[in-house]
Amino acid sequence: MSARRHALRVLAGLAAAALGACHGRGSAPGRGALVFRHPKLFGDPQPLDRLIGAFERAHGVSVHRETLPASSDEQHLYYAIHLSAQTREFDLFALDTIWVAEFAEAGWLRDLTSLVAHTDERDLYEAPLASARWRGRRYALPWFLDAGLLFYRSDLLAAHGLAPPLTWNELRHAVRRVRANAPGLHGFVWQGKQYEGLVCNALEFLWSHGGDLGAATHAAAQGLGFMRELVAGRLSPPYVTTLTEEPSRVLFGRGRALFLRNWPYAWNLLAGAGSLVRGRVGVCALPGSAGHASAATLGGWHLGVNAFSRRPALAERLAAHLAGAPAQKALALAYGYSPPRRSLYADPELTAARPFLASLGSLLDAARPRPVSPNYVALSQVLQSEFSAVLCGLRSPETALAAIERARLALEVA
Amino acid sequence: MKSHGARLEAWALMSPALALLGTISAVPMLYVVWLSLGQRAMFRPPGFAGLDHYLRIATDERFWNALGNTLYFAAFSVALELALGLGIALLLQRAGRARALVYGAVLVPWAIPSVVSARMWEWMYHPEIGVLSYLLGQPVNWLGEPRLALHAAIAMDVWKSTPFVALLLLAGLQAIPRDLARAAAVDGAGAWTVFRRITLPLLAPVILVAAVFRTIDALRVFDAIYVLTGGGPANSTETLSIYAYRVLFQMLDFGYGSALAVVMLAITGIAALAYARLLRAQTG
Repeated sequence: MSARRHALRVLAGLAAAALGACHGRGSAPGRGALVFRHPKLFGDPQPLDRLIGAFERAHGVSVHRETLPASSDEQHLYYAIHLSAQTREFDLFALDTIWVAEFAEAGWLRDLTSLVAHTDERDLYEAPLASARWRGRRYALPWFLDAGLLFYRSDLLAAHGLAPPLTWNELRHAVRRVRANAPGLHGFVWQGKQYEGLVCNALEFLWSHGGDLGAATHAAAQGLGFMRELVAGRLSPPYVTTLTEEPSRVLFGRGRALFLRNWPYAWNLLAGAGSLVRGRVGVCALPGSAGHASAATLGGWHLGVNAFSRRPALAERLAAHLAGAPAQKALALAYGYSPPRRSLYADPELTAARPFLASLGSLLDAARPRPVSPNYVALSQVLQSEFSAVLCGLRSPETALAAIERARLALEVA
Repeated sequence: MKSHGARLEAWALMSPALALLGTISAVPMLYVVWLSLGQRAMFRPPGFAGLDHYLRIATDERFWNALGNTLYFAAFSVALELALGLGIALLLQRAGRARALVYGAVLVPWAIPSVVSARMWEWMYHPEIGVLSYLLGQPVNWLGEPRLALHAAIAMDVWKSTPFVALLLLAGLQAIPRDLARAAAVDGAGAWTVFRRITLPLLAPVILVAAVFRTIDALRVFDAIYVLTGGGPANSTETLSIYAYRVLFQMLDFGYGSALAVVMLAITGIAALAYARLLRAQTG
């Protein structure tokens, strides 16, 4: 038994050494090492490693960093399987904003309420804080955030004497005006495939018409009705029902569409070197409707501490270190990730190095979290299929909202 | 006395195989049945649920939709694969010198992993840059239109699995003695009569075997459709295994998800038994 375990350890060590040869810092976690699991970074891992190196030196501990598969569903499954088995294999991990309530209710997350100082509380944006809170306690530290934005072709709007749209009506008008001269151009592309992204998009339509889940009101129905009209009225191509983030970004990036709804990551790809639409792209808040403010869905990642960690105090310190203002500033400079702190959007160095990021501050502040509930993932399955049915014209907004309301009550989502 | 000893020896010799089968298939299967009788969702107190999950399935609209999609998918894809596979097998049988080359070419779709071919088809179905819309001369929303999406998935499966059927049937064709066809020809039978009266009846057991394999595969189809459409739009391509996967591994409801898996197993089992009866009637 022990001989076999020894053999396994040797094998694992060999594998890790082989990996280390290509990766630099892939050494196997020693006995006392903290383990940090997170999704893949978009870019060179060195800036994050430098932050972790500073922590290692300050606390005399080694930290082992491990990347999870890119798909958010797979990460959710991975965490659920390991945490329900009370794993001690990792101490600190990054979680999607929509998982905090679920993991906290399950008892998998350490209560981090004491880690969020009063000054921090005032600096952090409300939406990420709200999504990291469950039953009045904080179970995660906002790491970086995402919010839906409207990208537009500034050259085409300017050529028609149009300003970026403030309302959906103005967007509708702009699409018709520009397309009168460019019939092959698509109007507005967004994420309409049946998946989590559709929920984010549909909630934005719903909220920006004054509606909300939990109130099957006229306004909510109007919001979903508008989503259907986008396809039925040809403001969006019919195959928006198959689009996810990247295909819609590529479509817009190839100059085939006037407007795009996407997350902030798209900016670097659209405005950077090699982009076909470079210098011809603008970005603004998603439109609102008459009398109702624009709304953006919150996305992003939080840091949580495994409730079964062997060294919770150290893991907490690492979480606080990585989610602190200096680390977030370094990550924003290196990767262009949007930090969840007001103060950083006024930081001169960050403003100078990443002017686009700095300009996002107020837009990100307006983001709204998806329903915060331990049963969110189950609710989302219903939201995805109902929203998709409305989008395809198979179901009326009223019927879909009634079905969502039934599911919401059955799942006790507040 | 002797026969008793022989029987004991036979059991002893079979026991490793039986133990292996038991551990890798019977035990997990019984465990899933056991799971399906309990309450094992995230935030509900665990306990015995009896047949509650099965009663819930009876009124679960999404289950019936998925069942309908699965049966539709299985019926059409298997029928098309058998018809096309038989045609290709008959042609291959006549292939002359280039036989090896033709075999290789026919097998290519079967050799590509489902996930890769699903990605490939996703591009071919693209309304603007896809080759199918280009050939038709107009954009068609193959994967985003609820009435088309399941058919698009069927076409992909037919493309992928027909080679398997063709090869299996070709082996069957080659086992039929040529003398029979020659004798029939001497007696004045035309090609169609030979096919209908000699080839088809003698090939029937092989056709059935191909049908069993393909039906069971089609009833539990998951990866190709999951990659192609993710079950959408509006659940129009959600099959039973995709629904069960969602309940089990996204919603983490292991009780209800196991019940769905048991129902799937029962449906596949019924299909397999029906084929087994047909096969016995054929050979017996």
